[in-house]
Amino acid sequence: MKRTLLFFLLFILAVPAAHATAKTYGKGVHVQEKTAVSAILDNPDTYIGKTVRVEGIILEVCAKRGCWVYVAGDRQGEKIQVKVTDGEIVFPMSAAGRMAVVEGIVEELKLSKKEMTQYLQHLAEEKGQPFDPSTVKDERMIRLIGLGAEITE
Amino acid sequence: MKWRKWNNIIHRDLGYLCFGLTIIYVVSGVAVNHIQDWNPTYRIERQSSQVNLSGVDSANNNALALTVLDQLGETAPLKSIFRVDDTTLKIFVVDNNITVTINDGLVFQEKSNKRAILYQANFLHLNHAKKWWTWFADLYALALGLLAMTGLFVLRGKKGITGRGMWLTGTGLLIPLFFLWLYS
Repeated sequence: MKRTLLFFLLFILAVPAAHATAKTYGKGVHVQEKTAVSAILDNPDTYIGKTVRVEGIILEVCAKRGCWVYVAGDRQGEKIQVKVTDGEIVFPMSAAGRMAVVEGIVEELKLSKKEMTQYLQHLAEEKGQPFDPSTVKDERMIRLIGLGAEITE
Repeated sequence: MKWRKWNNIIHRDLGYLCFGLTIIYVVSGVAVNHIQDWNPTYRIERQSSQVNLSGVDSANNNALALTVLDQLGETAPLKSIFRVDDTTLKIFVVDNNITVTINDGLVFQEKSNKRAILYQANFLHLNHAKKWWTWFADLYALALGLLAMTGLFVLRGKKGITGRGMWLTGTGLLIPLFFLWLYS
């Protein structure tokens, strides 16, 4: 009886340990080929509407709803927003600083400069960060509509 | 009548069964309703401060991070360090995201902690769990519907559905219709 209990206990402890490397969100990641964030940002028209796999460290997480993350690009200073439908995928705050593999559809958010400024100001306010409207230069926002992700724990 | 007896038994026992989750959903519902005004899931603390990075090699991310963490007195486990650009370094430790401007030593910290009870209540209410919880939550919703239906027929007479109950039930149906009209 004791041996059975011990075996059961070890099994219970071993199962989560074996799966502790990455947590899957949404539909997971099925695309095998990695696309560089820089490639998407350099040639967005080539990728808009396509499902891609990007990899990088999560720099920011939507604190209120967990409905977006920013994934660092392969080139210094670049990042891409991954937006998910509220509630379908909820990224935890603890995902920040973790390595992520994300699958999503490349989308262009079509906004006027005023709308883009308001949107970025809203994001900054949500994060409690200062925002300088003069930094908004590009009215074209390229992002991913996230379908799934694997985030290293 | 026999059907009323069964109606009342179902109403009573479902009421007992649904009590716990109803309270959880009440707490989370009110909290999430006001999401525009606060963060119902995490307690976020944002702090700006300054550290002294003189004498530290600005190209050495690890040395910079260690100096910053030391001067902030931050001892939580390190998750990762990321050089955003020439002048910005991000240091991620458990429950604290730190952004450092290397030139002037300005530090912005975003500390997050799960709100006790509310985090768990929102986790269930907003179905972050997915999987089996989805089916259980559906079952709970059906039970609530049944609870409401059987509630209509608990009492007979003047205080039942043919009297006072009819007016109150009607009012309850009119209230959402009024708001739909108001905001249409």
